[in-house]
Amino acid sequence: MENRFGVRDLIVTVLLLALIGSVWLSMKQADRHKEQLDQIQAIVSAQTKDLTRIENQLTQGIVTVGASTQPANSGADRDPFEHVRAAQKQPGYARGDYFVDVFSVVPDKLTPIISSDAYSSMVQAQVLENLCDRDERTLDWKPVLATAWRISADGLRIEFDLRQNVLFSDGEPLTADDFVWTFDWIMNPDVEAPRHRSYFEKVAKVEKLSDKTIVFIFKEPYFDSFSLAASFSPLPKHFYAKRTPTEFNRSTGLLLGTGPYRMPDPESWKPEPGKPIELLRNDRYWGQPAPFDRWVFRVIDNDQARLTTFRNGELDAIYPTAEQYKSMLDDKELLKRTQHFEYDSPTAGYVYVAWNQKREGKPTIFADKRVRQAMTMLIDRNRIVQDVMLGYANVATGPFNPLSKQCDPAIQPWPYDPARAKELLKQAGFEDRDNDGVLESPTKQPLKFKLMYPAKSETYKRVVLFMKDSMATAGVVLEPDPTEWNVLIGRLEKREFDASSLGWTAGLEGDLYQIFHSSQIEGTGDNAISYSNPELDKAIEQARSTVDEATRMPIWRKAHQIMHDDQPYTFMFIRKSMSFIDGRFRNVQQTKLGLNPQLEWWVPAELRRWTKSNTAAPTK
Amino acid sequence: MITYVIRRLVLMVPTLLGITALVFFVMAYSPGGVGGPAMDQQENIKGQEAKRIREYYNRRYGLDKPPIVQYGRWLNQISPVGFVPDEKGELGKFGFKWPNLGESLVRHRPVTQLIAESLPITVLLNAVSIPFVYTIGIVSGILAARFRGKWFDVTTGSLFLSLWSMPTIWVGVMLIGFLANASYLKWFPTAGLHDILADSMPFLPRFTDAGWERGWLLDTMWHLVLPVVCMSYGGFAYLSKLTRGSMLDNLNADFVRTARAKGVSEGTILFRHVFRNSVLALITVAASIVPALLGGSVVIETIFSIPGMGRLSVEAVQYRDRELILATTLIGGMIGLLSDILRDVWYAAADPRVSYE
Repeated sequence: MENRFGVRDLIVTVLLLALIGSVWLSMKQADRHKEQLDQIQAIVSAQTKDLTRIENQLTQGIVTVGASTQPANSGADRDPFEHVRAAQKQPGYARGDYFVDVFSVVPDKLTPIISSDAYSSMVQAQVLENLCDRDERTLDWKPVLATAWRISADGLRIEFDLRQNVLFSDGEPLTADDFVWTFDWIMNPDVEAPRHRSYFEKVAKVEKLSDKTIVFIFKEPYFDSFSLAASFSPLPKHFYAKRTPTEFNRSTGLLLGTGPYRMPDPESWKPEPGKPIELLRNDRYWGQPAPFDRWVFRVIDNDQARLTTFRNGELDAIYPTAEQYKSMLDDKELLKRTQHFEYDSPTAGYVYVAWNQKREGKPTIFADKRVRQAMTMLIDRNRIVQDVMLGYANVATGPFNPLSKQCDPAIQPWPYDPARAKELLKQAGFEDRDNDGVLESPTKQPLKFKLMYPAKSETYKRVVLFMKDSMATAGVVLEPDPTEWNVLIGRLEKREFDASSLGWTAGLEGDLYQIFHSSQIEGTGDNAISYSNPELDKAIEQARSTVDEATRMPIWRKAHQIMHDDQPYTFMFIRKSMSFIDGRFRNVQQTKLGLNPQLEWWVPAELRRWTKSNTAAPTK
Repeated sequence: MITYVIRRLVLMVPTLLGITALVFFVMAYSPGGVGGPAMDQQENIKGQEAKRIREYYNRRYGLDKPPIVQYGRWLNQISPVGFVPDEKGELGKFGFKWPNLGESLVRHRPVTQLIAESLPITVLLNAVSIPFVYTIGIVSGILAARFRGKWFDVTTGSLFLSLWSMPTIWVGVMLIGFLANASYLKWFPTAGLHDILADSMPFLPRFTDAGWERGWLLDTMWHLVLPVVCMSYGGFAYLSKLTRGSMLDNLNADFVRTARAKGVSEGTILFRHVFRNSVLALITVAASIVPALLGGSVVIETIFSIPGMGRLSVEAVQYRDRELILATTLIGGMIGLLSDILRDVWYAAADPRVSYE
């Protein structure tokens, strides 16, 4: 009998595999022990550092009680925690439990400056802090790491007084040197931060005037300079400077800051599929301690799974699309144990249709203002909002968000008026000359164009098909042209399109220069439609170099009027924001900037879901 | 045999060169180009800034050079012998070096790191599901052939056919909707590989005063149930049909009748004579399954939010992340060719009639 693989061999093989498996599992277990041990060691060493610091302060006889002992030296010094304190006075206020948020992908890097996706900045926003933040209720600036600021008359120097006794979460104090170092680090060409560098290109340098004061020096007066400087977050020099730029560029999770939350380990985070990202409360935070023990970001990619997880109560917040939101509102059970919000956000951008005025050096049909106005009047934007966006959007009047001070509230959107549109087209020379239902130019060219839009987007597809139908009734032929993203951008840059539909995102104060100034027609600038209006150019230039807000806003409003009349774009709509929040959270409010910061939310002790014991930090 | 294997291994090099060159140049000359606009994942970036950022990365990754130079640089990068690049990417002297798969054009991280993160997920899912697929598939296939036309054959036949026809994407969503939903049956978790509290769990399950604790190990396995079910049902249905078919071919063969006439026991006929002859078909299938398995399944990974190799490769193509596409092509091609060689070796091992001398 030849030597064959028999039953005995099979048993031996299985046993061997089981043995290898259990050895591997025990190594895995040892790994977990080591991680926990490391964490404990980190805590012990941090506490030792704290003890030494307290001891030193005691022997030197210096007493520091929180941050509020700073003398008020300007109108800027107001309590950034006014609303947090108000929340703490509510009956039953407690700290504890987790806040479980959701991402759709794991961010690649959490290291600040070199990471660029929206999710990493959401994590960083809890760990790092700015000099000043916008107050959510008034939209004015409120001090955070700064206590006061002074802007020079020419707008070129902005001085900030720094808050004292602020510690990084590893116990080292924040100093003026950290600000100067952070700026120099961003500007270091070896650091892979082209995005940040171009953001700060208008800043000549950041200087330390004294231990308590720094100054931002600008190259030229710029309307947005204060917001640029105020949203600057310092990184700890002692932590980052010991690394070379290459090490920094290759890191995935170097994240340490002064904010209300901290990374469990500021050095070693790396993306791991299927594992949530966790932040812990920063017990050394200079302000009011964070309400939650942990802030957890789960990663759930599939829409259906995300909804189910939220329904199961394993997620605390979800940001649904219009369809999902509508169907969630029908679920009475869900409404009972959750709270939901729909609001207009001043930072929501707009969706538009851009009319290309010049192609291959020749003016197109859209070079005529009357044709553009007619196009706008042929689109029933109210119905698009109702049918496609299910009512969760507003018709846009121009490039500014209606909640922004730049927007002229007197301007009404162009109405849906096919009769007037046809009249305008007739004036421009387009009529149905051969009775085939399609308008023709005097040279018998039919009024026909291709509308390019991102191929993957269902919303754009539906909007464009809707437009196609309403244009057809007026004798205008619209050919939908779905285009892959990379190709679309390439065609915009080469100006090879008739019309295109896309969206721009917005800030609290938008800058028209990049998109509508005639200087941006050249090369691959964002004025892809070759729109040029000297009057608008002048207004934009004037507004951009005016640092004083009160004189600047009327100029922006004038620009808004010019654009409303010119209709270089048909401004379609601005989406609303919707969110569902778990019902156990108290004090969730709507503010001008969306929902109020989570620092003001809290969970009553008896409703805690993830922690039962009271691990809350004492109130300062 | 050994010379045959060596010859096949050496032939792999030109094949891989051809594959990567094809992928490289098709991408280089496709409209929209490489990386490019996809490098700005944030849409709100304004033209000037976006342009400056793109110029920076084009310089950094050498995308401003002609395609043929870029391909040469890439070959140099992955070859163990070549010009050694310094910190800044400038080429230095000629010699031995570590092969390097380069850096992702979109995520700005080393490709090896990205693969090292995704591969374990794919391997884990497969390591758990393959034994199920093969055991269920082969055993039910043999039984169905043995009891051809009886109730077992008919039930498994129609059941597996319907299983095989159900699209994974629908089954996955249904499983989450019913088996992981608090309004129906909350038996399994909806997404991910670990619970939120997994880090503070003990390793093994245990009973404490507070009650039953599931432990880290069981928690991970519990998270794997739905994805593994989704991954395997189509596989064993297919394999069972295949086994049944090739078993039946051999059961009707002359040598089986001879064996029966000789009075050989039914078990010996089934396993020693018929099954061994039917194994060749299974080997052919297994060799084509292996590279597909390591390629991962983008559908399952997306539904259950456990991004492995499938997601990695599909996203690479979406964002035109050339280095990542080339790396996955290279690895995929290598595994595919290797499993071809392995299959041929298996043939020889399983069937004495096959020889490569």
